[in-house]
Amino acid sequence: MNIRYILPFIEAVQGAFQQLFGMTAQALTPYLVRKEEILDWDISGIMGISGEAKGLVVLSFPARLAQEITGQLTGQAKEALDDDVTDTVGELVNIITGNAKKGLEEFRLQISLPSIVQGNSHQVTWPSGPVPIITVPFSTPQGHFSLSVALENVITP
Amino acid sequence: MRILIVDDSRIMRTIVKAALQTLQFPVDAFLEAGDGDEAWRILEADEVSLVLLDWNMPGLNGLELVKKLRGLPRFRSLPIVMVTSEAAKYNVIEAVKAGVNDYLVKPVNEKTLEEKLLRVLNRSSP
Repeated sequence: MNIRYILPFIEAVQGAFQQLFGMTAQALTPYLVRKEEILDWDISGIMGISGEAKGLVVLSFPARLAQEITGQLTGQAKEALDDDVTDTVGELVNIITGNAKKGLEEFRLQISLPSIVQGNSHQVTWPSGPVPIITVPFSTPQGHFSLSVALENVITP
Repeated sequence: MRILIVDDSRIMRTIVKAALQTLQFPVDAFLEAGDGDEAWRILEADEVSLVLLDWNMPGLNGLELVKKLRGLPRFRSLPIVMVTSEAAKYNVIEAVKAGVNDYLVKPVNEKTLEEKLLRVLNRSSP
């Protein structure tokens, strides 16, 4: 499997967390997930990618960590997955995907607007076809989160 | 100075505003818009000294707004800085060709923001 294209996404996650939250996000061992897998998270930000490669980027958090990082940006403690939390998660997946394009310049890519899925154990509709979905778990001092990427013609079986 | 911040993320608008306040930019008024259409309405009706403009937004996006503005004599010299997550070189080139004065990749770094704004506004300090 060609997973070198996952590196720009990992670097983008780490850069965004350091700069926005002063937080080190340590990448743990990536693994493959099945399309029908239920995500064991509370909220996910999703970006579509089109152009010379098609796919999805999904950034998933437990509620507590999503609320914690939102609180850092707004200066107000968050007790629920409110509009500020969805705004933060959407903007984060947008920044990560947009920044990762710098490491994927051999493909001309367009990114969509972010969308949000929430609710305990939610599901994502992944692209059809034999596109591997790679999940990279991240560890921070405030908890874990994950980034999943499926990119047709780029990350190949 | 009247600065228009255009971004569909309210939190990003707040972050940019806070950065400008920390930098002690002499801002008389912050105007905000959540998309290009709203920004267009503000620009038509109000005096704006500088636009900080996101790219990916619902409705009229940042690039489309730049092209629309640069097509009109009234807005040809309006300073516009694109502030976007889009980090690929071909995106920067496309934005510069459309007429932005400068380009800043998110997350916004205060020092870089200051450097870009001073250059665009042709000043040596805020």
